[in-house]
Amino acid sequence: MTIDLKKIKTGDRRELAKAITLVEDSRSDSKLEVEKLFKNIPIDNKTIRIAITGIPGSGKSSLIEKLGLYAIKEGKKVAVLAIDPSSPINGGSILGDKIRMEQLSLEKNAFIRPSPSRGHLGGVAFSTFETILLCEYAGFDFILIETIGVGQSEFEAKTLSDIFLYLAGPNTGDEIQGIKRGILELSDIIVVNKHDGDSKIQAEVTKGQLENSLHIKGIDNINILLASAIKNDGILEIYNLLLSLSKNKNFFENRKKQVDNWIINLTLHYISEEMKNSKNIKMRLAELKDEIWMSKKSSYDAVKSIIKELKKDI
Amino acid sequence: MTKTPKYNPPMPDKNDWEKLVNKETKGKSSEELLFQTAEKIKIKPLYTQNDIKNINLEFPGIEPFTRGPRATMYRVRPWTIRQYAGFSTAEESNQFYKKTLEKGGQGISVAFDLATHRGYDSDHPRVKGDVGKAGVAIDSVEDMKILFNQIPLDTTSVSMTMNGAVLPILANYIVAAEEQGVPQEKLSGTIQNDILKEFMVRNTYIYPPTASIKIISDIISYTSKHMPKYNSISISGYHMQEAGAHSSLELAYTLADGMEYIRAATSSGLHIDEFAPRLSFFFGIGMNFYMEIAKLRAARFLWSKIVTNFGAKSPESKMLRTHCQTSGWSLTEKDPYNNIIRTTIEAMAAVFGGTQSLHTNSFDEAVALPTDFSAKLARNTQLIIQEESQICKVVDPFGGSYMMESLTQELISKAEEIIAEIEELGGMSKAIESGLPKLRIEEASANRQAMIDKGQDVIVGVNKYKDKSNEQIEIREIDNNKVREIQIARLKKIKSTRDNHKVAECLNALTEYSKKGIGNALDLAIKAARARATVGEISFALETIWGRYQAHSQTVSGVFERAMKNEEKWMSLKVEIENFSKKFGRRPRILIAKMGQDGHDRGAKVIASSFSDLGFDVDLSPLFSTPEEVAKVGIENDVHIIGISSLAAGHKTLVPDLIAELKKKNSSDIMVVIGGVIPKQDYDFLIKSGVAFIFGPGTPVMESAKQIIEKLLAN
Repeated sequence: MTIDLKKIKTGDRRELAKAITLVEDSRSDSKLEVEKLFKNIPIDNKTIRIAITGIPGSGKSSLIEKLGLYAIKEGKKVAVLAIDPSSPINGGSILGDKIRMEQLSLEKNAFIRPSPSRGHLGGVAFSTFETILLCEYAGFDFILIETIGVGQSEFEAKTLSDIFLYLAGPNTGDEIQGIKRGILELSDIIVVNKHDGDSKIQAEVTKGQLENSLHIKGIDNINILLASAIKNDGILEIYNLLLSLSKNKNFFENRKKQVDNWIINLTLHYISEEMKNSKNIKMRLAELKDEIWMSKKSSYDAVKSIIKELKKDI
Repeated sequence: MTKTPKYNPPMPDKNDWEKLVNKETKGKSSEELLFQTAEKIKIKPLYTQNDIKNINLEFPGIEPFTRGPRATMYRVRPWTIRQYAGFSTAEESNQFYKKTLEKGGQGISVAFDLATHRGYDSDHPRVKGDVGKAGVAIDSVEDMKILFNQIPLDTTSVSMTMNGAVLPILANYIVAAEEQGVPQEKLSGTIQNDILKEFMVRNTYIYPPTASIKIISDIISYTSKHMPKYNSISISGYHMQEAGAHSSLELAYTLADGMEYIRAATSSGLHIDEFAPRLSFFFGIGMNFYMEIAKLRAARFLWSKIVTNFGAKSPESKMLRTHCQTSGWSLTEKDPYNNIIRTTIEAMAAVFGGTQSLHTNSFDEAVALPTDFSAKLARNTQLIIQEESQICKVVDPFGGSYMMESLTQELISKAEEIIAEIEELGGMSKAIESGLPKLRIEEASANRQAMIDKGQDVIVGVNKYKDKSNEQIEIREIDNNKVREIQIARLKKIKSTRDNHKVAECLNALTEYSKKGIGNALDLAIKAARARATVGEISFALETIWGRYQAHSQTVSGVFERAMKNEEKWMSLKVEIENFSKKFGRRPRILIAKMGQDGHDRGAKVIASSFSDLGFDVDLSPLFSTPEEVAKVGIENDVHIIGISSLAAGHKTLVPDLIAELKKKNSSDIMVVIGGVIPKQDYDFLIKSGVAFIFGPGTPVMESAKQIIEKLLAN
């Protein structure tokens, strides 16, 4: 499959979709195509990348839809990259994001691409960063990444975004116990959703609790906002905050870090592929397993000898 | 005269029977012969006196009505034969109704097309494929007058299946009668008006839940004052069963819906005895013969209990009266004449259960709207039961049966558990918001499909005793484009001859109402209908403030995996899918889509759930999409396949449009397949348009997945 970058540049959605499929492709000859492709994709620093996390039911899709619609009204071009979990048992997935973002999915200036996680941990898919770069190349300047939303260990999403937004439900009082606090502390913005109807007061209480618990820890740089995605309330405030954070002086520092991370992740991936494909290592591993089993060697010695093998191969 | 000799058989001993069971089954106890139903009720091979120790003596017509709402039931007057029908234009449906009434039909039941259901006029661009298809197209009071031309509305009871666009349709009916010279207080019949189940299963809603409930309580309050013979609501379980719910779910959710409507009406200031006698019910009757009889008996007992707890005093309030319809879901495309037999069995269950009116499906309804011939057979099924079989001579003939009384009790307690779960969530409206009822029904539906695919639930001619011959039956064809043209012409004429100033005034009043909630919605809609405002205009006047509701749905997963994991076919198919993933670098990706105003999403959900369990990546598109919108999703998500689920006959317009759109966007490599209710007559046309596969009703999931995968691998 060869991708025509010119077509992507001129707004051909079909070509962009195909390119994303290519970076998600696990075959080795596809990898070569991807390598070629990325020689010609410059890094664009005029965009905003926002990762949105929060447990299922917190209203991520609703918030993204409202935020996306607002951004489009403000002249942005919006790409939504939604990550859905693949079943660990059968590998399949249900990608229902367009149902949950019905209005946004009909907008000309919106591109929504759900991707299965395919067992990748960290809240995003392995190729999410490449997908971001492709969307930016296609002219999308407001990138929203919807994480799987298991609430824990979603920090990889932070390493590929400019702004990390945690969406909390109105009952986060109990939720705080359940989620890793770390993820709250990593966020740039916490939005307490469902500030409406029966849960209005509860949402306000939760906001207070969150402020207190962060204050006690000496964390004062996290913005906490109230919103009701369903009632389209508080969206303007979130949008403005996102814009002002993106003008922050740390922006470029952060972008560099994202690239660093990308390179490290890619390198690790390539090394592990090398390992998987190396016959020598496979043989060596089999021998080592026995030796460890018989207590002839320690695990650490074994690792060292595998790395030696790997160096030879490369 | 010779005396007959005396005979005293020995006293029965259950152990003797157990020994015989053991012998006949070569070593099993009766315990091992228990059969667990989908409702998780254990059916015994034999019931005895011991099973009905706690049953009270009861008489029909007397609280709690388990044995029937009337003392003499069919002995004096049998149930009403009420056949649901409607298609094409008002003229054609009118002809059909008149013919039905001449030939023994006893009431009219109007089916509207999906455009009308969703509050769109026939000239709206979103309904291009839907006009006149699954029911009659009604745009204004002029259409309604044609629909009832020469049918005396003061003596003919009219039932209308309408939920979403209930205001303009009921208003048009009232005004049509008025202009026929029949005042509203003389009108008798029923309007379905049951919006809660639309949010759960059928999806033909327009407004958000709160606004929709407000409309219902306005209608209840209006009709209780002005239309004393009119049933203001028909609380329906039918569609839940069609969507896959088993009997206890159908029963419990229907009654829980009823409780919610009682709350809505009493909160608007009515006393329960003012309106409860006009609440009616509608249940589906499937092939589970004993269970269906028990369901109707249990429903009457439970409703009497529920209404009493709401403070009702009048027996009229406590008595559940119901319409029943034989199951459409149980009909098969293969071996279609078998459907006559299925319908007969189901009709008998409805009769033994004590229904007040009945629709029997025509045998061709798995693929199309009934023809005159199939409609006659369906009607005669009921006439034969009523007049030849002597079944009507005895009230509640199953009463006192050890099995039936015991089953009725078990169903009552199962349903009460489920109702309690809904009440704990704060009643049905709240429960629907949580998504629980929909999920429960989808779970039941996926389970049922898995049982069929495994061959555990037998369907003759489909998964057992398969018939190789491919019999084609004659069907009724609707020229959708022609109906649309006729409707559009009539709309133009109305809009050019009416007082547009007056119309605008009436519509404004409706919009004001939706802002402030002052006045009665039906009263305002009647005024607008009199001024010739159209169905679409009246609906839109409210929509500007309330908005059009978007459902958020979840999909169950893992049900098929659990049921099938040891089946060889399932395993080998999964291997094929793994091979596909290796070859193409990703899993097969399919977009499951519904187009047009057809909201029946059971089939789509079952496919999504089972395909993802098989290892597909499954995308879903929003309900009510246009072909352009589906193409956009398919292209952006870069799927291999678009699978269209169609149950409302829009496929001949919408599918070619989709394929054309894909071609226009240079994406003809995306395979298009279609499943659902598709007449054999249309197969050629669809294949020529570029459809790769057509999967009729009853196609096992694995078979369709296998064909798709093999074709993809071959490409």
